Amino acid sequence: MTNVYIEGIGMTKFGKFVDKSMKQLLVEASIEALENAGNPKVDAVFVGNFMGGSIGNQEILGALVANELGLGYIPTAKVEGACASGGIALRQGIMGILSGEYDTVLIAGVEKMKHASTADVTQAINAAMDNDSNEKQAGLTFPGFFGVLANRYFYETDATKEHLAMIALKNRENALHNPLAQFQKPTTMEEIMEARIITSPLGLFDCSPTTDGAAALVITRKKGAIHIRSSAQSSGPTQMQDADDLLSLPAVRESGRLAYEKAGVGPEDIDVVEIHDCFSMTEMLAIEELGFFNKREGWLAVEQGRTTATGDKPVNTSGGLLSRGHPIGATGVAQMYQLVQQLRGTAPNQVEHARLALAQNLGGTGSYSTVHILERL
Amino acid sequence: MKVYQCDQCEYASVSNKYRCPSCGTGNLQEQDVSSKGTVYSYTDIHIAPAEFAHLAPYTVALIQLDESKAKVTVRTDGNVQIGDVAELDYVEDGAYIYRKC
Ligand SMILES: [Zn+2]
Repeated sequence: MTNVYIEGIGMTKFGKFVDKSMKQLLVEASIEALENAGNPKVDAVFVGNFMGGSIGNQEILGALVANELGLGYIPTAKVEGACASGGIALRQGIMGILSGEYDTVLIAGVEKMKHASTADVTQAINAAMDNDSNEKQAGLTFPGFFGVLANRYFYETDATKEHLAMIALKNRENALHNPLAQFQKPTTMEEIMEARIITSPLGLFDCSPTTDGAAALVITRKKGAIHIRSSAQSSGPTQMQDADDLLSLPAVRESGRLAYEKAGVGPEDIDVVEIHDCFSMTEMLAIEELGFFNKREGWLAVEQGRTTATGDKPVNTSGGLLSRGHPIGATGVAQMYQLVQQLRGTAPNQVEHARLALAQNLGGTGSYSTVHILERL
Repeated sequence: MKVYQCDQCEYASVSNKYRCPSCGTGNLQEQDVSSKGTVYSYTDIHIAPAEFAHLAPYTVALIQLDESKAKVTVRTDGNVQIGDVAELDYVEDGAYIYRKC
């Protein structure tokens, strides 16, 4: 259990914003979070970001936020953990409050990817793989890793590509109700199934997009309505060939186990979930690893509609990375934005009487995972 | 094919580690084993990063080695299916290129 509460939230629209700088996106989300929190005094800033240096030539994001907002000469830092940068930034803020050093911390996450060429973005994303390995030299890509997992999953279970399509369709349907989501055009099973293959068996709709956007949170030790019941983080294998069980993401499983243990709750107690669906296959494995469904049976739950917004375990009511969008460093923070709205009763795809919420943020091909459990008091 | 086998437990990997990540106490010992193995899973990559774009579409497979618990990620010469038996053909720029037996 932590003594940390979420007091304010902010988020930009996710999409393509060529005329806005990374700093502008960061500041926009941060101001919204500060206003939402009633403009408290901020003691520190942690910013989640992955490729600001490599494709934006912009670092010192923590100090930029403090200066633009006039927060004073407070300590700030940028946190990098690939796609888990946002979740780890949040956790660093929580640790800072738990240590007694800070009372109130501003957490922000940002990425700006749309201005760069596909080749440059792909190259930058590959920095989240172990580049000094025979595996990278074989030509394995980020999506490729999840393609290999999907083919094995199909081999060991009765799941098919249609089950992955059901996940993609669900998340798109959720995004249609989220005004901040990147994709707001309806789609169909046929369109998803027939979309061009990126890495077999994954097609275009099975893969999260590149996105511009930012999100922010104000967290504080002052008791409020949204309690961070637990914060957990784990690391996992950085290479596919080192996986003990290919259909397991140990970092997800372990961070989930720790988060449940610290919160004193189990997967059966969670009312609403945001999961890191960088690929449809990732959501499939994560719902199993987090204990919502048995191993190798997640596809049955998907088929039965149990993870839809009206199912008994609603997953990615925001639209998820697949359809809300995936501005890498912002994603972990944007997950909290959706869950806080769920607990406040003001979310798109609102789950009735939601009291306990869980967010899981993944970095690399299973290299990092954070899990946070929130509670409405 | 070089693999690293824990001297205390079953763990094996194609890459060396300071300490066995499975039991936490064992040391990994270098071993030479046959490159022969079975396709554990695979993907056909259609969208590739710039440095591999000239090869696309190409197949990357995870091979379960016959003589070790270790698996190895390889590029295959042509399409494969899970269960296919394959072996090392040649090494190119640090990548193991396998072909079906
Ligand atoms: Zn060992």
